[in-house]
Amino acid sequence: MAAIEPMNQFMIHKIVDLPPVHVGGLALDLSITNSVLYMLIASGLITIFFLTAARGAIVPGRMQAMAETLYDLVDKGLTGPMIGDRGRPFLPFVFTLFSLIAVMNIIGLFPMTFTVTSQLAVTAVLAVMTFLTVVVIGFLRNGLGFFKLFVPGGVHWSMALFLAPIEFISFMVRPVTLAMRLFGNMIGGHVVMYMFASFVIGLGAFALHGGLASLGFVGSALSLGMVVALMALEFIVAFLQAFVFAALTCTYLSDVVNLDHGH
Amino acid sequence: MVWMLAIFLVMFILFAKVFVPKVGGTMADREDRISGDIGAARQLKEEADAQARAAAADTAQARAAAQKLALDAKAKAHAEAAQREALEEAKLAETLAKAETQILATRDQAMTHVRDIAADTAATIIEKLTGAAASGDEISAAVAAQA
Repeated sequence: MAAIEPMNQFMIHKIVDLPPVHVGGLALDLSITNSVLYMLIASGLITIFFLTAARGAIVPGRMQAMAETLYDLVDKGLTGPMIGDRGRPFLPFVFTLFSLIAVMNIIGLFPMTFTVTSQLAVTAVLAVMTFLTVVVIGFLRNGLGFFKLFVPGGVHWSMALFLAPIEFISFMVRPVTLAMRLFGNMIGGHVVMYMFASFVIGLGAFALHGGLASLGFVGSALSLGMVVALMALEFIVAFLQAFVFAALTCTYLSDVVNLDHGH
Repeated sequence: MVWMLAIFLVMFILFAKVFVPKVGGTMADREDRISGDIGAARQLKEEADAQARAAAADTAQARAAAQKLALDAKAKAHAEAAQREALEEAKLAETLAKAETQILATRDQAMTHVRDIAADTAATIIEKLTGAAASGDEISAAVAAQA
């Protein structure tokens, strides 16, 4: 019986080894790992889906209807209500984040695959990139008025003196929470699922000893039920975490885009 | 992870340049077309309504004209009948008047005869009673006094 190694599924190994690329003083390892492979698979699936779905028919087919439902979900569910009239330009950004994260999450739920979003490095890249986008757009739209973000409106200056550092910390912590939330949800779900799945086999094997150990079958069956239930839950989580990531991105963008007229 | 960033950027460009404009454009097109169709349908309905109204107005006008014509005809018939009646009446009155004068004339004539007859009768009676004939002048004076 193989050892129970719940973390092995998250191990990165190189598939195509490439020599490091030197940019300035940095040595970048651009080898294609299993993580990169699944990123490419995810983006490839999204590309194929949208290329086949976006046919531009007036009466949509099944695929096109699905693409349009997703479009509506992001447009009328995220950027529209959360950012408002000024949200339209951010639709592609939010849509890309949502699609990529959702597809990478869902691919990871299939057996023998790799969950890209269970890597803190990946979620951190996405989170920092989102954070920097928000900061850059904040400065572009508001100039130095961007700093008003840290002073809540209608607050006495003595209170603002206390509130500003708190607001600043809550702002700076955003990329961390954004990265940790997605990473934690993904890795946690997969570890729990792995553990219950290992119980199915472990307890089942134990039950084969006969006698009182036969009760192990009960535990094994319960664990199997748990795996099935968790699988359903993880599909929800996979979708929901992508949605949450996109929704928070919208909230952060709304903060800086609608800074001048109250938020 | 350089790869994640690179893939995200490629996907972002694809979304921004291809997917979002295409899907969004299709949906906008559909909305335009639906609203256009609804607008055209509404316009057609308005036209139909206007035509229906015009037809109703025409019908009402025709009915009014027909009623007027009927009334006119009736009035004309009435007038003609009244005129004819009056004519007949006048003719009748004339005949009546003529007949009356004739009757009066006949009576007057008859009345003049009555005096003669009375005189004759008186003369005959006197002759029978007295055996002597009375003179004509005396008798006529007596008759005139009696009349």
